[in-house]
Amino acid sequence: MSLRVSELVNEDASLISRRCWSDERVYALEKLGIFGKSWLFLGHESQIKQPGDFVQAYMCETPIILSRGQDGGIYANINSCSHRGLPVCRADHGNTKRFVCPYHNWSYSVEGNLMTIPQETEVVQKPDKSQLGLKRVPRVEAWRGMIFGSFDEAIIPLGDYLGDMRFYLDAFLNRFPQGIEFIGAPHRWVLNANWKLPVENQLGDVNHGAFLHSSIIPKEAQDMIERLGYSVVTTPGHGATFRLMPEDSPIDEMAWGMEGMAGMFGGDEVQNYLREVQAQAAERVGDLRARMKGLTYGIYPNLSFLWSNTSFKVSHPRGPGKVEYWSWSVVPADAPGSIKKTLRTNYSSFFGPAGILEQEDAEVWVQQFIGSNIDFADDRPYYYGLGLGEEKPHAELPGLVSVTANEFYARHFFSRWRDELQAVEEML
Amino acid sequence: MSNQSLATSPEEQRALERFYFHEARLLDNRQYQQWLSLVSEQISYLMPSRVNVQVDNRARGNEDMISVERELEDQESMGCPIREETYIHLMVRVERAYKINSWSENPPARTRRIVGNIELMAREGDSFSVLSNFHLYYARPGNEDVIYSGQRRDTLLSQEEGFHIGRREVVMDYANIAMPTLGLLF
Ligand code: FES
Ligand SMILES: [Fe+2]
Repeated sequence: MSLRVSELVNEDASLISRRCWSDERVYALEKLGIFGKSWLFLGHESQIKQPGDFVQAYMCETPIILSRGQDGGIYANINSCSHRGLPVCRADHGNTKRFVCPYHNWSYSVEGNLMTIPQETEVVQKPDKSQLGLKRVPRVEAWRGMIFGSFDEAIIPLGDYLGDMRFYLDAFLNRFPQGIEFIGAPHRWVLNANWKLPVENQLGDVNHGAFLHSSIIPKEAQDMIERLGYSVVTTPGHGATFRLMPEDSPIDEMAWGMEGMAGMFGGDEVQNYLREVQAQAAERVGDLRARMKGLTYGIYPNLSFLWSNTSFKVSHPRGPGKVEYWSWSVVPADAPGSIKKTLRTNYSSFFGPAGILEQEDAEVWVQQFIGSNIDFADDRPYYYGLGLGEEKPHAELPGLVSVTANEFYARHFFSRWRDELQAVEEML
Repeated sequence: MSNQSLATSPEEQRALERFYFHEARLLDNRQYQQWLSLVSEQISYLMPSRVNVQVDNRARGNEDMISVERELEDQESMGCPIREETYIHLMVRVERAYKINSWSENPPARTRRIVGNIELMAREGDSFSVLSNFHLYYARPGNEDVIYSGQRRDTLLSQEEGFHIGRREVVMDYANIAMPTLGLLF
């Protein structure tokens, strides 16, 4: 089948073909036009504090080693031996001086340089080791400790790419004097769904809460989200949803973390800590952002930040019909260990592979993928038209702003997605 | 805990088995409310996260090098366990099962649990440390069937009405979680 990209997403992106989630050629175009050209999240500096520390990451399906070099610098290399392609790093994370390839024991420094070729002594012509290091990710930049890589050498700087999303990210990240810390290895959940399904859910689909999650989320909480909720698109593909709490709200209603399981049942120590954070919020992030109580954020193409339950998530494609969905718990770096341990359950109780809420989300992603892969329904693209054209600029909030029921976050995502696929369409 | 299980009397071993088989039958029959009555209100219900750790080369030649414990991000660790639940969490899970909009289990999955390798590892007053293994066959409508495999590390409290679960740590045999949910009652 030779689909044209222009047939997948209509002009205003209010109609979107089922094939966007299920077609092999679409996926091949996504690799070229999106994963080869975007800034992709690799990890957080708190995961690689010491020289020799490393974690595994992915850029689409390409395995990456993210490491802290002996010089203190950050390195990202493709985890594939220059000799025959085996992964040279086999642990999820750790600290090492060398990565040793299992097959013939070529060894690489933590920065990715080829150090030894055991067979070298037995041959006359010596290979030029300086040319045979691991393939380096050509662009690596960090912002507020968040490390991104890109395969596109000519990509715009990370700061410009994030644009006004920095305003919204800082509303959370700058609340803490030492920023945030990623704790533990990511939970890696493999689902039979397309990578864009979790992404779209986290980018702005707050509205499903009242329906899909009504067995768990109390009606009052959902009503409050609708009443105080905003959905923002800063740049097409990036989005933020949050509540803007009234100025006279009691601190326990305003403070981040209080509405999670850890906040509700974790005891005085954690509650006092959360109140303390909120008490200093205006000073740290300004009056407006102190009143922001975040829900979900999306950073194009596949990074999400679930502020309400404090998790970063990356949706790693594994073909059109499979996704490896990674999520980390994040905590304030300055918090005492006991509080970090309590706060991590704000994430794990409701989200992640055992999450009471996210089990419903995973179910609908799998089912939406099935619906996107059926026959005889290609003349019925999905309706993405809710709230068409109703988003507006706002006096204080950067970007286009609307109610959470407006699906403009998805229309903007798919417009960008369509344009980026179209730009590479002739290459396949 | 010593590596040897205690030598139990046939009656005592039978009492443990009887408890676990009853529990498995309640769960497979979706009688979660009755199951909850077997759970202590002070329960810790835990599931460590399991990761592919770097092999400890300094420990080469001895069993610690590849020990299971090194792979676990458990409650004591500064990592992030998959589950750290209390009675409240379990209550929410149980109540949810009987609501009309618990979509991921509606229609409900078919399950079959096989519990075995029941070993009493320690006994202290009314408190029993018991290990058991399980395989759980899970067939959810509209999804591929999966098999859950793991170990349970329990503290059972012997009370007048029988055993109560005071602590349960579920060690799953996966790092990548290719299953619809780890939120079941294992
Ligand atoms: S494949 Fe890596 S050393 Fe030969
Ligand atoms: Fe959801």
